[in-house]
Amino acid sequence: MLDAFSKAVVSADASTSCVSDLSGLKAYVASGNRRLDAVNAIASNACCMVSDAVAGMICENQGLIQAGGNCYPNRRMAACLRDAEIVLRYVTYALLAGDASVLDDRCLNGLKETYAALGVPTTSTVRAVQIMKAQAAAHIKDQPSESFAGAKLRKMGTIVTEDRCASLVAEASSYFDRVIAALS
Amino acid sequence: MKSVVTTVIAAADAAGRFPSTSDLESVQGSIQRAAARMEAAEKLAANIDNVSKEAYDACIKKYGYLNNSGEANETQVKKDKCLRDIKHYMRLINYCLVVGGTGPLDEWGIAGGREVYRALDLPTAPYVEALRFARTRGCAPRDMSAQALVEYNALLDYTINSLS
Repeated sequence: MLDAFSKAVVSADASTSCVSDLSGLKAYVASGNRRLDAVNAIASNACCMVSDAVAGMICENQGLIQAGGNCYPNRRMAACLRDAEIVLRYVTYALLAGDASVLDDRCLNGLKETYAALGVPTTSTVRAVQIMKAQAAAHIKDQPSESFAGAKLRKMGTIVTEDRCASLVAEASSYFDRVIAALS
Repeated sequence: MKSVVTTVIAAADAAGRFPSTSDLESVQGSIQRAAARMEAAEKLAANIDNVSKEAYDACIKKYGYLNNSGEANETQVKKDKCLRDIKHYMRLINYCLVVGGTGPLDEWGIAGGREVYRALDLPTAPYVEALRFARTRGCAPRDMSAQALVEYNALLDYTINSLS
């Protein structure tokens, strides 16, 4: 497993040279608190994100919870919820590390083959991951609006960063995209 | 590669939980010191040739007998290899400064070092002298900031300890 720092070291060691270009790592350090807040935002809302994503996936494809569907008995539905949480957890680790190696090595490696062997439909899985991607972006951005929330709009404090952590939103989205690419 | 972040993630993963507040606190602690480490790493990377050369010269000056026939610093090829070894330690220290732990030194420098030096019949005292020279050569506002120098010296001390 690597993080942003050890990744730089391992690639410098491949050419036996020093790590001299530190601009990317300095950016990681400078935006360190934002990154930790983003990780915290996902970790604190994980249960809600997972159940909403799986519920959304089923709403769009009711066949999943009818006899013969892949979420039909509670046992399989529970496995589905568990898997969604595992994927979200490894994406959170990757976001904390600033590097996708932990996600690749410990979660995505062989996942597609496992799902193929178990007969899990990848299109539905991908849809759940897409919903989690949108949720993660929303939680990191933390920018609720009237148009989405309507009467339930609830403002959480004042704006902390003007750019709404755009780079972290993009980074988190890239990890979800990695999951989607690995499954399809 | 062991670092604060990977250790935290490995522990959280072993327990199967999301990163907790205390996990994030330990990462925050590492990030707070990172600015000084980055500065030291950058300065060392920019001057690694000079730093290594000075350290090498200092150890050959102290252990002049190494230039004698049959000793470790006898020929030009051997001289180049000695300098390369010192530079190798400096590069690993640069890596450790970047990672924020002693992982690179442990894995790529110290592990097996004793066996290699014994097999090649190399004395470790000159390495210690070279690193000790580098340890005293660094100067706070001139070379890097005080905090950066503390991080750099701590890793030199760690390497010296591993050799003695």
